[in-house]
Amino acid sequence: MTVRFKPALAAVVLALGLGSLSQAQAAKRLTAPDPDWTGGLVTCLVAQKIIEEELGYRTKRITMPSGPGVFEGVRNGDLDFACESWPSYNPAGNKYITEFGGDGSVAYLGPTGIVGASGYYVPRYVIEGDAARGIPASAPNLKSYKDLNQYGHMFKSLESGGKGNLIGCPVAAWLCDDQKRLDMLGVDYHAQSMGSETAHWAEIQAKYKRGEPFVAYAWEPHWIHAALDLVSIELPAYDESKWPATTWDRDVTHFHGSPKMLDEHPDVVHVLQKMDLTNAMQAPMIYAVDVKKEDIEEVVDDWLAANESVWRKWLP
Amino acid sequence: MSAVVDEREPSWLHNLWIEHRGWVVAGGLLLVSLVIWALHGGQTVFPQMLVENFPFAEKTDEFDAWVRPYVQPWTRMIGAGTVWLYELLVDFLIFTQWQIVFVILVLPAFAYGGLRLGLLAIVAVSSWLVLDFWDESMETLSLMSISILIAVVIGTLLGVMASQNDRFEAFLKPVLDTMQTLPSFVYLIPAFYLFGIGPPGAILATVIYALPPVIRLTNLGIRQVPAGIDEAATSFGATRVQSLLKVKIPLAMPSIKLGINQTVMMALGLVVLATFIGSPGLGDIVYTGLQRLNVGKALEGGLAIVLMAIVLDRVTYAMGHVEQSGSGKHDHVFRLFPQSLENFKPVLYLEYGIDAAWRTIAAGGRFVAAMVTAAVARTVALIDSDFAARLREAMLARSFLLASLVLILLLMLLDNYTDLFGKFPRDWEYRFRTPVNQYMDELVTSKVFYAITTSIKEGLYFGLINPLNQFLMGLPWWYLTAVLVAAAFLFSGRALAIGTVVGLLFIGAADLWLFGMKTLSTVIVSVLICFIFGVPLGILAAYNRTIESFVKPVLDTMQTLPVFVYLVPVVMLFSAGQVSAVIATVIYALPPLVRCTTLGIRELPEQINEVTSSFGASVLQTLAKIKVPMAIPAIMVGVNQAIMMALAMEVVTPLIGGQGLGMQVFDGMNRASIGISLQAGIGIVLLAIILDRLSQAWTATQRRAMGLA
Repeated sequence: MTVRFKPALAAVVLALGLGSLSQAQAAKRLTAPDPDWTGGLVTCLVAQKIIEEELGYRTKRITMPSGPGVFEGVRNGDLDFACESWPSYNPAGNKYITEFGGDGSVAYLGPTGIVGASGYYVPRYVIEGDAARGIPASAPNLKSYKDLNQYGHMFKSLESGGKGNLIGCPVAAWLCDDQKRLDMLGVDYHAQSMGSETAHWAEIQAKYKRGEPFVAYAWEPHWIHAALDLVSIELPAYDESKWPATTWDRDVTHFHGSPKMLDEHPDVVHVLQKMDLTNAMQAPMIYAVDVKKEDIEEVVDDWLAANESVWRKWLP
Repeated sequence: MSAVVDEREPSWLHNLWIEHRGWVVAGGLLLVSLVIWALHGGQTVFPQMLVENFPFAEKTDEFDAWVRPYVQPWTRMIGAGTVWLYELLVDFLIFTQWQIVFVILVLPAFAYGGLRLGLLAIVAVSSWLVLDFWDESMETLSLMSISILIAVVIGTLLGVMASQNDRFEAFLKPVLDTMQTLPSFVYLIPAFYLFGIGPPGAILATVIYALPPVIRLTNLGIRQVPAGIDEAATSFGATRVQSLLKVKIPLAMPSIKLGINQTVMMALGLVVLATFIGSPGLGDIVYTGLQRLNVGKALEGGLAIVLMAIVLDRVTYAMGHVEQSGSGKHDHVFRLFPQSLENFKPVLYLEYGIDAAWRTIAAGGRFVAAMVTAAVARTVALIDSDFAARLREAMLARSFLLASLVLILLLMLLDNYTDLFGKFPRDWEYRFRTPVNQYMDELVTSKVFYAITTSIKEGLYFGLINPLNQFLMGLPWWYLTAVLVAAAFLFSGRALAIGTVVGLLFIGAADLWLFGMKTLSTVIVSVLICFIFGVPLGILAAYNRTIESFVKPVLDTMQTLPVFVYLVPVVMLFSAGQVSAVIATVIYALPPLVRCTTLGIRELPEQINEVTSSFGASVLQTLAKIKVPMAIPAIMVGVNQAIMMALAMEVVTPLIGGQGLGMQVFDGMNRASIGISLQAGIGIVLLAIILDRLSQAWTATQRRAMGLA
């Protein structure tokens, strides 16, 4: 029991560590962040696995929340490329990507093939009821935003003060303008922000499990549609001049990355430009991961093995 | 006749005033405030002219963009250095056979804390293997070790400097206050682009967060060395530096070690947040678990973090108390379980068994150490017998280290020349995420439980939160400012009054007044609930050792469990919003209040019981009339800490629907604007400092009134 134990031990640890240091660092190494939602992760893994297995790269994957952090990382050269960026939700991207009016410090690398659509949804049991679970239809004639007012009392919550409650966009920086949209469309509801995506889906899932009626913002493709049976509510068609009194624009999602990529790794950029993973291809993979709880790596490997003719076309 | 009435009436009022002056003033103030609130109506509006001419956020963003190219090359160099260190350590831990790493990690716990702590360390390290989080745990451990190392080196240095120079200390104090209360989300993103993605940014952010306790306690420890000792040293001809190095710092060592212990705990608090800038480790497990609403997985990660925190806490604490605990000689039989189980035979046999095994191992270790010492001493004696004698003595004094090194060397040789060691067997792995998730599902769908949570939710919202929101947001800003400034002036003095004015004007001018009021109401409601539950619990624990031994581990877990682990369950049960924010805050802020209450009651002199019972007072009377009033200063320290923790929680609760200043910090982060998040972060810091100083000043006046100061 000696007092000098720790420093001596630290010295030994460090000396041993020096010996086992890995020395060789491959030149063909890329760093990419794992998106924190299943759809994005599937897209990213498909791209990464093709780049690794067919072009001989190694990619280092980093877990971090999507958003400005990723853009900062790409801009600083810490990250080489990022997958499935949704233009509607990344105001930070507009500052950097030339195609969106930015300064060019982040390069646009090509569309992923996934096209996103956002809107307001209700569980199917709200409209049709669910005999098996003993839930009556609480809003049988709900089809479009115009019908929301007559069902306001069904959707009220603690903090909405008697009005109907919309579980709106969880993150203020996504600029959804939910309350403004409701006001402009004459829907007398309160738009509540849950503060984070996690809380948003947790709230929706809990309400669904209890069979409560709710109206919530969501987007497609997303695993929530694999887990819960949601029906979209009609909103006026997208029109930039009338925004936000319309639905969202179609989100043509894209890869972006460091401008260095264009010169240094043209083969990778080629794959990312040619890649065209459609919503229909992604949806079963999301279902397998989030509903059947299969391992995401295996799901993507299986897809790659079964669809070689599809992704071969993306190679240079 | 009339003279008597005249005398009685003023004396009744007079008595009320003398005995309950505080309550009379508070009641009067509340009445006036309610009248003003009712007259004012609607939400208060800060003068728009001030708001429009306050470009703090824009200027900060401009400055940030301008300064970045100059600073970044240097910070990147520092980042590269820390990454090198990190990878060195993590590669060693991950690529070495797990059995060897296991032994290396567990031995220090045995060395400093004896058998009991050693067993705890074995449980903790095994849990990482069993849960299959080995690599993640090694990453987190490396991240923590390097952050703590840097924080301790810089912290003791700054602490020593502060102890030698009053002006430097005065300069450092507000800086440290800010570092401790500024939400880490504010500097997470800057740390990330200045120092690099992943480990370097996370390490530097952790250092900033964990630095204050070492600095404070080093400074305090050196300053508390009695002046006489210093004089004695200098009178024997020691220079100032000699006196500092040879006398003062060694005497301040217990305090410095306590500071290191606190720093370790703070550093572990940042494990999950570091994931936000891409750092690997256990935080990753918790974060991805929550992102997929996999409560069980997040809980597994949280448990691994809690065990790491508890072992690191106990080991660093034991390091500070090595002298007292003796050299590990234990004369009585080892006790693993509470003494009440003593008559239960299997427990006794188990304890005897462990004890015997431990004694055998210890004897074996001493024998090996003696053999090695003898061999080395003999060899050296051939050259220099004098040196050999000294070496022999030094080696014998370090017999534990010697035996440990021999053991590690032996294991490494075995690893190199045999195939004895394999991977950790898959069959031994165990995960409890599925049952947890199933249980969670049952809770969420349970009708009875839902009725309970709904009534709690509605009661809290309509009974407390909403009225307080309306009241605080409706009070005119100038009125609230005037009240707080007057309180600051009365309890403390001119300096605090000026500080309060400036702070509140900043919050108003940054257009954050209403957010600030929401923050304030969340904090007030949370601390109130903490008080209602915490103080009785603390009193019970002070009276009953069994309750205390039950409460203590629960409090430890509440303090070290990453808050992210319970965010999702709270949302699922109470639905996102201010109620969830309050509940999560209460869970986080309760422990210090319970601890301080227990301590405050227990520290009262024993004679009180004898005196009061000899006067015929019951236990309850003694408690209510004597003990609780006397413990008020200690309880107030707990309240003060609860307020600080509730404010710290303010940046996490926006994730579950909290509406205050913290939401603005997040918004700034999501918009990649340091200006917006810094401004809101400063708002939280200012509120924290004002509330902290006010409650401390009030406690000080109370102590004086009771003659304790």
